[in-house]
Formats: sequence, C-alpha cells, structure tokens
Amino acid sequence: MDDLLDTQHQKIKEINSSKLRSKTMKLLLQIIDIAKEMGVDYADIRIQKTKIETIYLRNLSLKNTSLKEIYGYGIRVFKNGAWGFSHNNEFTEDAMQKTLKNAIKIAEQSARIQNGNGLKLSYERSYMDTFRTSFKIDPFEIPISEKVDLMMEVNKTLLNYDKIKQAQFFFECRKDEKLFASTIGTMLDITTLYIEPTFTATAIDKGDSQSRTFSLGGHAKGWEWMQKINWNNEAVRIAEEAIMKVQADTLGAETRRDLILDPDHMSLTMHESVGHPTELDRVMGWEADFAGISFATPEKLGNFQYGSKIVNFIADNTLTDGLASSGYDDDGVPVQKWHIIKDGILNEYGSTRDTAPLIDLNASRGCNRATNYYDVPINRIPNLYLQPGRVKLSPQDLIADTKDGIYIEGRGSFSIDQHRVNFQFGGDMFWEIKNGKKVRPLKKVLYKSSNPEFWNSVDAICDDRFFQTFGITNCGKGQPGQRGRMTHGGATARCRKIRVGGSQ
Amino acid sequence: MMMNEKMQKIGKFIRENCAADDFTLHINNSQTSATRFAQNAITHNMGGENTNLYLEVTFGTKTGAVSGNIFDEKSLQQLIKTAESIASLNQPDPEFVASEGAHKLPETTKTSHETISLSSEKMVDNIAKCVENAKHKDANISGISEKEISKNYMLTKNGFEGFDEEAVFSHSMTMKKDGKETKVSKSVNDFNNFSMENQLNQLNLQFDSLDNPVSMEKGRMPVILRPAAVLNWLHYLAWGFNLRSADDGLTPFTGKLGKQVFGEKFNLYSRQNQAKISAPSFFSNGLPVRDIDWIKNGVIQTMSSNRFYANKKGILPAQFYNFIVDGENISEKEMMKKVKRGVIVNSLWYIRSTDQKVGEQTGLTRDGVLYFEDGEIVKSVKNFRWNEILHDATKRIIALGESVHQSYYAKIPTMLIDDFNFVDVTTF
Repeated sequence: MDDLLDTQHQKIKEINSSKLRSKTMKLLLQIIDIAKEMGVDYADIRIQKTKIETIYLRNLSLKNTSLKEIYGYGIRVFKNGAWGFSHNNEFTEDAMQKTLKNAIKIAEQSARIQNGNGLKLSYERSYMDTFRTSFKIDPFEIPISEKVDLMMEVNKTLLNYDKIKQAQFFFECRKDEKLFASTIGTMLDITTLYIEPTFTATAIDKGDSQSRTFSLGGHAKGWEWMQKINWNNEAVRIAEEAIMKVQADTLGAETRRDLILDPDHMSLTMHESVGHPTELDRVMGWEADFAGISFATPEKLGNFQYGSKIVNFIADNTLTDGLASSGYDDDGVPVQKWHIIKDGILNEYGSTRDTAPLIDLNASRGCNRATNYYDVPINRIPNLYLQPGRVKLSPQDLIADTKDGIYIEGRGSFSIDQHRVNFQFGGDMFWEIKNGKKVRPLKKVLYKSSNPEFWNSVDAICDDRFFQTFGITNCGKGQPGQRGRMTHGGATARCRKIRVGGSQ
Repeated sequence: MMMNEKMQKIGKFIRENCAADDFTLHINNSQTSATRFAQNAITHNMGGENTNLYLEVTFGTKTGAVSGNIFDEKSLQQLIKTAESIASLNQPDPEFVASEGAHKLPETTKTSHETISLSSEKMVDNIAKCVENAKHKDANISGISEKEISKNYMLTKNGFEGFDEEAVFSHSMTMKKDGKETKVSKSVNDFNNFSMENQLNQLNLQFDSLDNPVSMEKGRMPVILRPAAVLNWLHYLAWGFNLRSADDGLTPFTGKLGKQVFGEKFNLYSRQNQAKISAPSFFSNGLPVRDIDWIKNGVIQTMSSNRFYANKKGILPAQFYNFIVDGENISEKEMMKKVKRGVIVNSLWYIRSTDQKVGEQTGLTRDGVLYFEDGEIVKSVKNFRWNEILHDATKRIIALGESVHQSYYAKIPTMLIDDFNFVDVTTF
C-alpha cells in the first residue's frame, strides 16, 4: 500500500478541522493565484466534503444501512467567454495544478464554439464569510441503532394492520462542508445539513393495491426536529388512510370541479409549473435537449398574468430551514429574497452570474448550485413558496365554502411537458367534497391543467397559520444529471373548475 | 484510470483488515468528458475522474455499509471500522444472503480503443459540425456529447473477484426553430459505430418532415412509436417488472409468471453476447451474467428478483442489463398503409405511473408528431398526453419494424400499435 497516498488522510483531516480550515483555504488561494497568473478571466475552486447516511427498511428487513463520505474539489475557469470545469480528489499541489490546467484547456476548447463574444458574467463583489445550517443535535451523532429502532417501530405499527402488506421507511441525512475561493477575492466556509424521513404503507384489498406516504420532505434541521414528530400517531394515521384508500371509490369521468390542495401537494405543483419554468437557463434554451425549455419567456416579464391577483410566489434563499439556504451559491453570490410572481404577474427569474447578462440583468439572484464536488454548478430553483392569503381563512373554511370539489393531500403521479405548460397531477389522498363537506375518500384521481390556466384559477389561499414547508431533495436536472434540493411552501389553496377525473 | 493492480491492493488491504464474518467490496472508477451545448454555443464543458469504494460488512446477519473515495491506509482503516461499527449496532436482517464465492465469468466486450482514445478536441469538432448544420437551417441546436470510461472491481470474503470495464460515447442533440423541434441521440461502446453524418442526416430528415404543428382531436388512434419512444417506455416496464412485487399483489403481474400477458408479437430479452450491445460480466450481486428471456411471444418467462427472493422461490436471480426486442423488418411506409390513419411519434416524455396495480402510465409525446392518412404523412400535429397500459398496448401491436441499435444497451424496433389512448392535446 506504499503507493497509496498517506498525505491524502492528512489533507482530509485538515478539511475536517476548523483550526486547519484556514490552512486549506491557503491551498485554495495558491491555486487561485496560479489561475490568475495563467491568464484566466475568472476562476473558482470549491472543496467539498459530503457525508450521507442512508437507512432503508422494507417491512422488517434492512435493505440498506450505509454511510457515504466523499471528498474532492472542482475548479471552474472562465476564459474568453467560455467555461471549463475539472474535478479531482487528489489533494497534492501537483494534482490540484493539473486539475486547474485541465479546466483551462477545457475552457479554451469551449471558446471555439460560441455566440458573438461568448458568455459574460454579471458583476459580483467579493465576500469573506461563514455559513452554518442552524441545528441543535447533529443527526450523524445519533447512533444508527436509535434510528433503526425508530424505523422498526413505525414499520411494526404499519404491519399490525392485516391489509397492510408492505411497509417501507427511508431515512436520509446529508451534510456538505465547502470551502470556496475565487479570483475576485471571495472566500467562503459553508456547512449545510438536512434530514429526511419518509415512510409508506401499501394496502392490498379486493384485487387492488394503494399506498399512503408520510413525508415532510427534507428539512434543514437537526435530530431535535425528528424528536418532535409523534411517530406512532403518524404511523396509525398512514396505515388507516392507506386501507381507507384501497377500499375507496374511483371518481369516474373527467369533469370540471374545484380543487382544494394541501401544502404538501402544492409543493410539487409549484415546483414543476412555477419553479422550473422560471429558471433562467431553461428560459434561455440551455436545457432544450433534455429537461426542456420554458413558456415564460423574457418578453412576458412584468406583463404576463401567470396567476390570479392573489398569487404571489416568493423566491427566498434566506428562508430558515430551507434546503437552498446556503448563505451563498456556488458562484459566490449571497442568498436573496425576491418575487418570482407578484400579484399574479411574472416578475423575475432565478438566475446565475452567467445567465443574468443574457437578459441584461445587472446581477445574479444566486441560484447556481452544484450537488457534489464533481458536479458543475447549474441554474437551480430557489426556495420558492406561495405567499399565504391576507384574509383569515382555514382549510375547514375552504371546504365549507366549496359545493363540488376534490380535496387532495400529498404528492402522487406528476407529468408535465417540456415547455412547462400542460400537466397532469395525481396525489396521495383524495376526498370528495359536496356542499361544503368531505363526503367520501377517493382513489386514482388525476387532474389536468396548464399554465397559465391553473394559477389563474386560484381564488382562495389560507392564511399564514397554515403555512408549511416541504423540502425537495431529488430534483433531477442537467446533463449529466444532478440531484438538487430546495424548499417549497404554502398554505392550503383552492383552484376553481379544473378538469379532474379517475385514471384512464 | 485506476489500475487493476491498485484496486486489488485495496481489496487485499480490506481482506487483511476486515474482522467481519462476511464482506463485499465494490470499487468503481470512471473518467468522463462531457460537453454541453445550447443555442449554437458551448455552455458547459467538464472533465475528471472519480473513484468510489463501497464496502458492505456483516456480523451474523447484521449488516453495515460505507462508501468513500479516499484510499490511503488510514482512510481505508477508518472505512472498515465505520462499516463494522454500523453492522454491530444494527439489527439482524432476516433476508440476509451470504456473499457469492468464486465464479467463472463470461467474456464480454464493452471497450474500444477508438472510444478510449477519443479526444475532447474531436468531440468539440463534432459539436462544431452540429452547430454549422443548425445555422444552415437557421435553427438552434442544443445537446451533449459525452465520453465515459468506467471500471468496476468486486471482491467478497467468500472468494468472488471480478473486473469489468466499459467505454461509452453518447451524443444527443435537439434542433429547434419556432414550433419545429426534434431530437436524435445515440450511444455506443465503440466510437467506430458512431457516425455524426448519419446522426445529422437523421436529425435533418426529422426536422424537415416537421412543419408548424396544428392541433388535432384527442382520442384513441393507431400510433407508430419510433425506437426512441419504445425505449423510453421500456425503462418503466423494467422498473415494475419484479417477481416479489407481483407475488405481493402490488403490480398487474400477480400470478402471471408463465402466462400470456403481453401481445404475441412482443419478445423481450437480455443477452450477454449480442453484437454492439453492452453486457456486464457479472451482476452487482456477484453472479455471472446470463442470457435472460423476459417475455416470449407475450408470455412472461422471467421477472426480476434478488438473491434472497430467488432462493426462496427456487429460481435463479435476475436483473435487466440490456433490452433486446424482436422486430419484423416492416418499414414505416408499409406500416402507414396497414391502418387508415394515425400518428408517428419520435419520443415519449415524462412517463410516470398513474396506477401501479393496473400498470397504467401517463406521459407526453415529444420531438415531433406526424399525422398520416392513407399511407402518406399529411401534417405535423401538436403533442399529446397519453395514459396507457404497456402490456395491454403490446396486445394491439399490428406490425414491428427492424430492430435497431437505439443505444449501447438496447436494440429496439419501431412499433405500430392500434388504439393508443391519447387523452389530451398540448398547446404546442
């Protein structure tokens, strides 16, 4: 093993130790100085240590109990209007310099094919700062056995019901520690963390199978958040609702009805129909080959009625506990809060330093994020939420005010076209509403709508007492694909006269 | 690239230092170059090498796993210690199966000198041709050109040791002008089997056949699904085609093993030695790869299963590793004459399950839809949403085209399917 680098271990220890972080930062700055000497227009280096704990329990069998730790760095170079990115996990000076040179070579290749003078980067000042996700109890300090015991208890509770034939519990927590330095003088030390428990009960009865899921999404919180959840009550509720669902009626033919959507459900709807269409890279055609483009084109800014007048979508990467609340993005741009949709009108996009100039914006909104050290940062959806209504209104009030509708809880089937206009959504639990009352549970409900019909049909949003957030940790985007994360939120809302019916 | 000897040295270290009753070690090394382009310019361009180690250890039936990418002795010792600590704190797994012992592994070829030596300069040269082609048509082109060389090593306490190598070149591009938008993509193990000229010809053919699309009524009608569309769909079949899920009553295939569930024309296989189609030497569980018949003349022959469930059922474990679907060599022109009217679909998009038990899925069409009548293409039409049940749809196959190399892991024909369920029309 003498050829395995012993120095690697030392370097990692340096990243792990706060005392030695400044020493590692010096190493980053050396690379940045060399980049400057080599004539780049801009360069940054991001060392990232990622730690992920995953536990997957299927019925009472542990299918996966693992801890992943990866370390490495990515160097981005901007030269002659084009990007080059190279990554490595060897921390010797020689390896780091080689990685830099490779990034420069790649940028020079990129510059061969560009429009006009190539890309531009929006102005940004330099920062020296530290950011830490706020938490009391580090979930990685909790023994695996304690987590497995909790999960086992939940699955046992679910499987106590005869009709529950499958119980699945998935737990993940992730911590990212980054050191970032750039040629404009920015030096950042960022640690983010999230935790995500999800369990599903699948009931089988009368030739059908239906599932019900407990999911609050990912939350940038510590183990103390897990301790506040009444797991037994939630397991009983989920099991009973799964059985209720498998025995429920289907809706029948598609007609127009009112929809009342809970915040969990809306987190997915807004992600797909507001979040993605307002990523500026997608708007400018950068994702045209895979994820697609956007109908929300720049000439619509300030005049397009995206939603009704009570619809306000706030992008907020300063949101407490938000998964995109990281202090700074991977361009070194500080987190911000702004309106994506204001009083129903398309107001602005989520942007990055290289996309903002494409529509003559003066500055980036700080949405460039990479998932792992070996990923290039891409234009991501920020934390995004539907602002609660200003009038006092509860979900019960909304139901009481609805003659013919469907109340949808949780996330289910979702599918949207590559321009982000036409979509079809399911859900996790459905209730028929007749004359102001929930009259029966339903299953296999699907609704179809489109932009801007859907958000313009919103006529009521509950007030901030009912505001909830849900973190998305599996937002797939990019080529090669990356799994990004951000938080969505809202209070229960009503959409009028949407096409809804049973599947098929 | 990490050398085989270095992987074996890490393996030896694990073997000598791991105190667990059983262990399985995987090391994956990959070297990638990826160039993204959009709006006729390169937007992202990246390259680098990754090596990841995954170690699963077991005491009795208590298992713990770690993964990492630092391989000096102290880091490896720490990984072993952590995995052993997780396993010792864990609960016994009633479904634990001991690691595989030594196996004789089949030879499969998935690398080529041409792919390995392909330079990033040449990849950019290729993109330049795509951009020139798009500019000639006053259109915009976007896509990705990517090369990945990967190596897998697996070692178990019970004596399994295996290496697997693969090189893949893939190129995908979408050309767009106003309402006209279409895509071609191709991936190969051997760059000798890739022709940019052919890809551009196909792209231009598809692009030129499109016009600004007009709206059409939704409803059931015959569809010609081109190979890219069929492959899009088959991925979702593989995902839900599991024996245990079927036996548990979760899928439409409960009690259907050995029974006619798909159409008679539908045959699906995985093959270890199919020309130009990739296959691993061994599965991730250490078993040697073998030929698998999944569906023959519409009858389910095999469903995927892990080692625990396969042992319980007294069958061999099975995993999808490539998709080979039989064709009939009927041309698209002949297909159009077999029905009065219908649509031709280039690809399917955003497929999701809407009813797991029934096997119903939803999705959209993408990359160009053509309406035909009386054997002739009449016009471009706007995209559709569809809700369909794949196994039911295969019963409505009227004709199959030639089975073609759609990807390095798939050989797929065009399919003419009757009464495809288009439930909505999109706005573009």
